[in-house]
Amino acid sequence: MTPKNYLYEMIRSELTWVVGDEYVQANEADNLGHSIDYYWVPECWHDRGERPTPPDLVVYPGNTQEVAAILKIANTHNIPVTPWGGGSGSQGGALPIYGGIVLDMKRMNKVIEIDPVTMCVTAEAGINAQHLEWEVEKAGFSTMHLPASISCATLGGFIAHRGTGVLSTKYGKIEDMIMSLEVVTPTGEIINTLPVPRHASGPSLTELFLGSEGTLGVVTKAVMKIHPIPAARKFHAYLFETMHDAMVAGSQLMISRMRPAVIRLYDEASTARVIKRVLNIDRKGAYLVFGFDGPEKIVDLEMEEACKICERTSKEDLGTEAGQSWWKNRYKFFYPPYMFQLPQAFGTLDTVATFANIENVYWAMKNVVKENFPQAAFIGHFSHWYDWGCMLYARFIIEEPPQDPNEAVALYNRIWDMAIRAAIREGGVINEHHGVGLKLGRIMRDLYGPAFNVLESLKKVLDPNNIMNPGKMGFPGKGV
Amino acid sequence: MHIENYLNVIDACRFCFMCRHLDPVGNVTFREADTPRGRALMCDRIRMDAANLSNPDYIDAFYRSALSAANRFHCVSDYDETGLVLAVRRDIVEADLAPAAVKALAKTLEKDAFSVKGKGNALYFGPTPELYKGCAVITGGDPGKALAVLGFEAASKKVFARFKKAVTDSGCKTLIVAEPSAFEFLHDRLPDVKVIHSAAYFVEQGMNKTGSRKAVYLESDFLKNYCGNPSAPRDLLKQLGYKLVPFGTNVEESYAVGEGAVVYDTLYPTLAERLCQRVYDLAEGLGKTRFITASQTVKDTLKKYNPAFDVITLEEAVALSQD
Ligand SMILES: Cc1cc2nc3c(=O)[nH]c(=O)nc-3n(C[C@H](O)[C@H](O)[C@H](O)COP(=O)(O)OP(=O)(O)OC[C@H]3O[C@@H](n4cnc5c(N)ncnc54)[C@H](O)[C@@H]3O)c2cc1C
Ligand code: SF4
Repeated sequence: MTPKNYLYEMIRSELTWVVGDEYVQANEADNLGHSIDYYWVPECWHDRGERPTPPDLVVYPGNTQEVAAILKIANTHNIPVTPWGGGSGSQGGALPIYGGIVLDMKRMNKVIEIDPVTMCVTAEAGINAQHLEWEVEKAGFSTMHLPASISCATLGGFIAHRGTGVLSTKYGKIEDMIMSLEVVTPTGEIINTLPVPRHASGPSLTELFLGSEGTLGVVTKAVMKIHPIPAARKFHAYLFETMHDAMVAGSQLMISRMRPAVIRLYDEASTARVIKRVLNIDRKGAYLVFGFDGPEKIVDLEMEEACKICERTSKEDLGTEAGQSWWKNRYKFFYPPYMFQLPQAFGTLDTVATFANIENVYWAMKNVVKENFPQAAFIGHFSHWYDWGCMLYARFIIEEPPQDPNEAVALYNRIWDMAIRAAIREGGVINEHHGVGLKLGRIMRDLYGPAFNVLESLKKVLDPNNIMNPGKMGFPGKGV
Repeated sequence: MHIENYLNVIDACRFCFMCRHLDPVGNVTFREADTPRGRALMCDRIRMDAANLSNPDYIDAFYRSALSAANRFHCVSDYDETGLVLAVRRDIVEADLAPAAVKALAKTLEKDAFSVKGKGNALYFGPTPELYKGCAVITGGDPGKALAVLGFEAASKKVFARFKKAVTDSGCKTLIVAEPSAFEFLHDRLPDVKVIHSAAYFVEQGMNKTGSRKAVYLESDFLKNYCGNPSAPRDLLKQLGYKLVPFGTNVEESYAVGEGAVVYDTLYPTLAERLCQRVYDLAEGLGKTRFITASQTVKDTLKKYNPAFDVITLEEAVALSQD
């Protein structure tokens, strides 16, 4: 579509009838912002003076009915629709790669109800996660969903990518926090999933939409658990000779079935590079921090037991201060200049595996990067822990990627292909909490095998015209 | 180009999402262009190709910014995103690309002239001279801040020169300034004169406690985010007996309805009204609580869109205590 085409104006007019003139934008200022999310590839494209694909129209729905009407219009004209939350996704999920409509959800930002009896909050999906948390805190509670991107991502975005916060080890990932969803299906029907997250009334539809990345519909509303503000939250840090020694401690902490709110283990390379830079702790070895929250007496007891576990394999007790400092600075890691940024090329190779496999996954990824891409540094930390395993947040960093954008992106893709496939071979998966998006769609079929046909069939049934976020998550594109 | 002095900011902000939740305009328009990232991306395009400076969509977005500096205040590395927007506005003006409404407003502001009345050791600049017994009074329009914010640096300097001359001619060694934007502009520009904000002046005088009443002190963009958040306004209200209650959901967001852009309501009344609406909405749960602002402009804007809204200035709070 182009503004010179009268069909374009027909469609624009139809959309303005639904949401009003102001909420259908087609200007270059907004298009620029909507053509680049937090994925390195469009950032690099922009950096090299190229123009990443813009949307034809940015539409800002104000309520669920408007979303439904927009999707019906898009179906009539067979136009791609890409939901956009905060644009903070790192997988290119919100990029309008085939043009069409970007459905910017930020206007749907209301907290509808805080229920202190059931302990849940109902909110529109476009609400910024920090704004949501502030409102819930004002009522005396917390969502306990505190990701590093709390200030920039939306509730719907986290649901779409199965995101996770820093306290996930105790409070769960977003999929553990959501009670139910309101969704507009690609053909424009408004549906609600069952009101409780645990039941035996058939398969969980909530689960179907969690992680669907805007390919199966638009999440418009969610009911999310909330929690009391804990009386105490305490941290402690240890240094280990090797990452393996720290992993023994971390896994024992989880196997003990205590409930730490957080465990973070930084490998030797990231302890030397990141912990030193951000926390000013200059040590050789692997830094591990953990924390508990809840009633103070229980927290103290848990801290004591956890310290005993760490002391078995650690080389230095860094104390509570080094732990508190990590908590205080937990978001600082993500601000420039602490965060990696162009001209560097960097990617977060995040995956998850069982305790039996996780170190093998780490070494497989690290070795493949080291052997094939000597220009790349590799660092990693383990940030979200489960009863059965943990998440690896690995990163590769290239200080001077090629200037030619195609060459730079080709190199970037090659690293991803090799590293993720190495992880899968050792029992890892494509991703743990950032999603698939455009970045990793091509590997979905390899990961799922024949099971991917099930996902594809669901997509076909729900979205017969393939309008919803085409070309993402391994689903078909629209043709360029 | 002036934006070249802010390349570090462009590099940092163009791909950074970390303070977008604090952009007051972004929070009511929901537009990507109304975030520090959006603006830095546009500046980056201009850096790559100066022809982009004339893009009307970009220009409008730069002027739409409320310049609250809440983003800069939040940034762990203090990147001066506000400075970048001011720089690009200067580039726009110097290329004669400012929108017609901005140019027309600048023409009016350029005419501001100043005169001093009365005698005293201190000179007062603001809307409530009757509160400053024994002070001379300087009157006129804006001392150059509004022009500077709009990007008319040369014109701003000329107006400021007139203001400075009037101050110098008065012989006063202390200047008391009421409007936070003027205070921020003047506080380090008059080397031989001590510039203080009216709140600090009253605190120094010592105020009598007159009853006790709940109030919200509506933080000023200029005092909080530009001038290091002095405690004087809150100290003054406490001296006057006000019991300050928290407002909004957090202490980071700007609720100053465009104060940082000085002439926001003149240029963008629809957006100013939306910024006000946000304040009215948040105020709903507070019952009969009075709002107190350091800025006459903020008060006027809030009153304009809801005359029943109970908001007074710090100076009016002082005046009430003297009734
Ligand atoms: C500095 C930084 C730190 C980060 N840290 C974390 C972290 O700690 N934890 C974490 O999980 N992630 C983190 N991320 C990644 C990112 O914040 C998450 O992936 C988040 O889920 C994206 O949300 P968003 O609202 O920005 O979505 P977008 O990027 O706008 O969109 C992401 C995907 O969701 C879809 N989508 C958006 N809204 C809807 C909706 N309402 N209905 C259906 N589909 C929708 C889009 O189409 C797209 O496919 C970080 C990102 C940044 C920039
Ligand atoms: S001001 Fe700081 S936090 Fe905001 S976008 Fe720029 S670098 Fe990021």
